[in-house]
Amino acid sequence: MKFLVTVGIALALLTLESVVVKQAGLVLGRIDVTVVLVAFLALRATLLEGAFSAFAVGYLLDLMSGQPTGLFTFLAVFTFLVGRLVSSFVDVRGALSFALFAMGADVGHGLLATFLTWLTVKDGGSGQALAGLPLQVALTGAAALVLFPLFRRFEAAQDRPAGLLR
Amino acid sequence: MLSLLKRYRRPLIVGALLLYPLVAFLLSGRKGRDPNPIDRAVIAVSSPVQQALTAGIEGTVSAVQHYLDLRGVRQENDALRLENLQLRASVQALGESRTENERLRKLLGYAEAAPGPEIPARVVGVNPVAKLLSVRISGGEKDNVFRGMSVVTPDGIVGQVIRATGSYSDVALVTDPQSRVAVRVQRSRARGTAAGAGSGPLKLENMLRTEDVEEGDLIITSGTDGIYPPGLVVGRVTNLEKKQHGMFQGADIVPAVDTSKLEEVLVVGSPYSAMAQGNAAEGAAK
Repeated sequence: MKFLVTVGIALALLTLESVVVKQAGLVLGRIDVTVVLVAFLALRATLLEGAFSAFAVGYLLDLMSGQPTGLFTFLAVFTFLVGRLVSSFVDVRGALSFALFAMGADVGHGLLATFLTWLTVKDGGSGQALAGLPLQVALTGAAALVLFPLFRRFEAAQDRPAGLLR
Repeated sequence: MLSLLKRYRRPLIVGALLLYPLVAFLLSGRKGRDPNPIDRAVIAVSSPVQQALTAGIEGTVSAVQHYLDLRGVRQENDALRLENLQLRASVQALGESRTENERLRKLLGYAEAAPGPEIPARVVGVNPVAKLLSVRISGGEKDNVFRGMSVVTPDGIVGQVIRATGSYSDVALVTDPQSRVAVRVQRSRARGTAAGAGSGPLKLENMLRTEDVEEGDLIITSGTDGIYPPGLVVGRVTNLEKKQHGMFQGADIVPAVDTSKLEEVLVVGSPYSAMAQGNAAEGAAK
């Protein structure tokens, strides 16, 4: 996917998620829409394009968290690189396999985020974050099922050759 | 050298993209950084969309709720009318007490604490990251909202402004694990600290074992942290744990405000925020 489209989708998804979280009051279980997007990039994008896009997506998440520390920017690029590595071993084609792939990415993302936060802040919230992880991963998997066809459609729209009448 | 750089250009760029935010995170840790022009531009673009979406969804939900609520509205109206009469009587009585209080304060030579401005704002969205409990409100530097100001509702305290940009601000909730509020027990005036613990109740910390605290006691802000004005409701004491040994006793505080259902809030000035405004003005003058 092209960089600007990815950023636009990330911004729209994060905004939508923020509103949904506010309405639904999901305090512990959040939907990691950015991880779903980064997982898709890991499967489809080239190394440089994907790394830049993941960086931008992570930066947006950092910005929307209220305290931009760089943690989610790092995690997005890291998840992209690990996802890219894993994708060379597994075959991810359908929506279900993509959901499982995204859930795996979310587990890694969540554990690493909790560990790095604990490493620097040393607060008591790590246990709670870990307790909320299974629900978060499940919600992310469900979101991945819904988002996969949407991402593919966006991707297909960009791959159309320019200048042809349709 | 150049040929090497050219050869390893891609891994080097990816490495930089990976390491730059990691180093920034390890250096800044929990503090974060002040918003730069890019941050401000992105917030300026995303927040109105966020606000419009919130308004749309809330409008739909409230329309459905209004329709459902219409059935019992007459009975509720009668009950409210009665309650209004009682409240008006109470307000009148409180007015008398206030006049008396002011007169006595003058007699004792107390300086009246300036209440500062109260800026109304709407909650436009919730931070999508679970690690920091914060909300975004529709009030920013243009509305004289600055970092460090406290955010309240008529029920009690909500949190503290951690970042303010043009028209929007981010508020760290009082339930966030990093939040600490100087409090006192309203009944006995015993002082302590209310610490955020995630989504559940707050933790009462630094309360000496010898202090007088009981289950159900109302906890209010003490104002000694320089962030929250004194006398605002924080919550009620529950699960009091009086230990045989040690310096402190522990308890939970059930917050007075349900932070998961916030809609409108008030941003209240504080000495810290007044300093921030002063600094901003000095910076602008320079």
